[in-house]
This record gives sequence, C-alpha cells and structure tokens, in this order.
Amino acid sequence: MFLFIIKYFGFLKFVPGLAILFDNGLKLYSLLTKPNILDCVDEIEATLLQWPHTSVTTHKYGGIQFNYEGKEIGHIHSNGLLDMLLSRKLKARWMQDGRIQDHHSFKNSGWISFYISTIEDKEYAIQLLQAGYEKVMQSDMK
Amino acid sequence: MKSFFTPKFNGFFVANLVAFTLIGLSKLSEKYIFTYNAGVLVFSEFVIIPLLMGIISAWFWRDSNLSSNKLTGYSCMNAFIAILLSFIFLGEGMICLIIVSPLLMVLVIAGAFIGKSMFNKNNQTLNISILSLMAVVFFADASTPHRYDNMVADEVQINAPVSQVWQHVVAFKRIEEKNKYWLFKAGMPSPVQATVDGYHVGAGRKCIFSNGYVFDEKIVTYDVNRNLTFDITHQPRDPEIMGHIDILRGQFLLKDNGNNTTTLIGNSWYRLYVFPAWYYDTWAKSITRNVHIRVMEHIKELSESK
Repeated sequence: MFLFIIKYFGFLKFVPGLAILFDNGLKLYSLLTKPNILDCVDEIEATLLQWPHTSVTTHKYGGIQFNYEGKEIGHIHSNGLLDMLLSRKLKARWMQDGRIQDHHSFKNSGWISFYISTIEDKEYAIQLLQAGYEKVMQSDMK
Repeated sequence: MKSFFTPKFNGFFVANLVAFTLIGLSKLSEKYIFTYNAGVLVFSEFVIIPLLMGIISAWFWRDSNLSSNKLTGYSCMNAFIAILLSFIFLGEGMICLIIVSPLLMVLVIAGAFIGKSMFNKNNQTLNISILSLMAVVFFADASTPHRYDNMVADEVQINAPVSQVWQHVVAFKRIEEKNKYWLFKAGMPSPVQATVDGYHVGAGRKCIFSNGYVFDEKIVTYDVNRNLTFDITHQPRDPEIMGHIDILRGQFLLKDNGNNTTTLIGNSWYRLYVFPAWYYDTWAKSITRNVHIRVMEHIKELSESK
C-alpha cells in the first residue's frame, strides 16, 4: 500500500505539508494495525538522543529525522520504514545480512530501506543508525 | 473539582471547547459580516481548527511524557469527541461524519505532534509565530468568498438502439437492484426512480431517492434520442451530505454507435459548500459517479431486456 502510494502519488510530496500529513495518516494506520511500531520508533529516538551531538527533527517528507550536528543520519516514517544513506561499500556489507533493501526510490545509490516491525528489528535499526552515525561523524571530521 | 480538571481531561475539554467556539464565531461572521459564505464550511474549519485542537492538547499533555502510540490514540479520541459533538450540536448526519472523520483524525494527530515538537523546543517566539500564522490563515480564509463547481461524466455501452434506450432515460421504473456502493449500503440515499409530467422542454421531472428524498427537475433540453438535460429546481436540505452539495444540472447524452448499440453518457454538475475542495471533491465525485452508475446500469438493463 505504502509503496503503491509512493509510486503513483509520490509527486505530491512537493505540495507543502502534504507528506507530513500523509505520515500522520501512517501513524493512525500503525496504531490500528501494528501499534508496537510507534513504540519501537520512540525507543530508537530515546537511544539515539543519548549519543553525543544528535538531535531529532521532522523529516521534510514526513517522519522523524535523526541528525548529527544538523546532518541527517537517517529518518523513519511512521509505518516503521527506516531510510538512510550509507556509503556504497557499507551498503554492500549490510546487504549480505539480507535484511535491508535498496531504498524504495533511489535504487542505485548508497540509500537503503529497512522495515521495523519487531523488537529485533528495532535493535537492528539501532545498529544501522550507529553505522550511519559513525559515517556522518567521520565525514564531518574530514 | 480541581482533580477533575486534570491535564489529560483539559487536553480533550479545552481543545473541543476552543474548536466549537471558533466554529460558532465563524458561523456568526458568516451571518453578519461575510454573508457571501453563508452555509459554507470553509477550509479552516476542517484544517486549521483540528490542527489547533492537536496543538492545544499537546500543551496540556506536554509534561505527561506520552508515547507516540498514546498521543496518536488520544488524538483519535479527541477527534471522535469532536465528531460526536458535531452530531449532537451541529446536527451533522452520520454519512457526513464518516466522510469527515479521516481528515479530522489525521489533522488532530498532526497538530498534536506539531504541538509536542513546539513545546519541547520551548521557543516562545516560534510558538507565537505559528499560532499567529494560523490565526491569519483562518481569518483570511473565513473572509474570502468560496465557490467550487464541478462536473462528473460517465458512460456505459448499451446493446440496444437509441430509440429503445431513450424510452428509459426520460423516466424509469423503480430500481430493485441491491446497492453495491459502500456508502449507499451504509445508509446514504441512492436513486430509485425517475418520473416526468410531460415529454417536452419545460416539463417537470422528479428523481426519487431511497429514503423518499425528491429532487425536482425541469427539462431544459429535450432532443429525442440525443439529449435530455434538466436543471434541478429544488432539492432536499438534509443534515446528511445533501446540505453540503447542490446538484445543479443533469444530462443524458445518447450516441448511436451505428451497430444497434448506444453509448449513454451521464453528466452531472454540482456545487460544493464544504472545503478543502481537494478532499471533499474526491468524495463528491465518487458519490456522483455511483449515482450515475446505478441509474445508467438500470437503464441498460431495461433497454436490453426483451
């Protein structure tokens, strides 16, 4: 359903506020179908905010965005979809686990997507975000 | 008394109180100042007010450390209370409330999360700027004339000559077929019969709905086997959707396909009194389309039966 909307109505994300509204619709959908997703996202947020120099903001296309010194590490949509940018090398390494997939829009890039729906997924998402955090931190130091 | 007005209760109570006060003020302004918007439910009443409800709730719940699940659930409850109060005090119909509820819920949730973010930042300048911007948008919207007309067209192929189809277009006997469209099944009136008092321009036509509603129509074009156009001269004002949309004109166009079959085109023109149009027009189109389909499928069945 989510991918169908992204594929056929994705162009509407450029209408100011519409993507954020859509993401709030996803919150309602998650509450009704998989309420633990929102709890997992809350716990991920709490964990990440303990890391130095991190902050959270609303992602421009809806969802919660995690930042290191204002630079995006990754973002999670309210249906539990984690999107983040890794280097191609890192992406290839994580791909070997078979749990992450190409980003739903940017296939041939370092962007990846990962669906969070269980506690185990939450732990894995934190590991992914940790890798993203280190990548952003290192690029910031250069 | 003090324990009754807990932050949790206030989040529901004050949000709804402010919402209904603003709707009341908006209605008063339509009655005495912006009279050109009388009877119209403007964009702000469905967008700004629910967002504001969410923000107000977030203010009262700011120290409660609510999880996203709880905040979403409470916001849904808040929207549900507003819907219930609209049913009781504004006399809105059930179908209307079914239509408005997804929009309302999503916006109250959005407002609550915007509010949570605003009050976490605790930047008074930003908070006042956001609320002022909302007030400006509300005032500008309430004072701007609203008008939205649209037209929906549908067609069916009928395996019968135009002369046979025409006999069932002007008037048709009662539709006995069960409703397939979910809103009709949910209780929304559906068309069941059309009668006429003459077969000429100026003749009266009546379109009768399942709950007894009658749309009075006047034939304005009577071009045998080609075009039947009628203006709606009177329609029921009902708490259900009928109070928020006016059907202005209906039309049946018949095209002879040359092989003993006919293309029947149904057109309807309508005016919306609820905004935002992008949301309500989606529903209006869907409802009008299903009215068309129900009538045109019936005409098809009558025309094709030997």
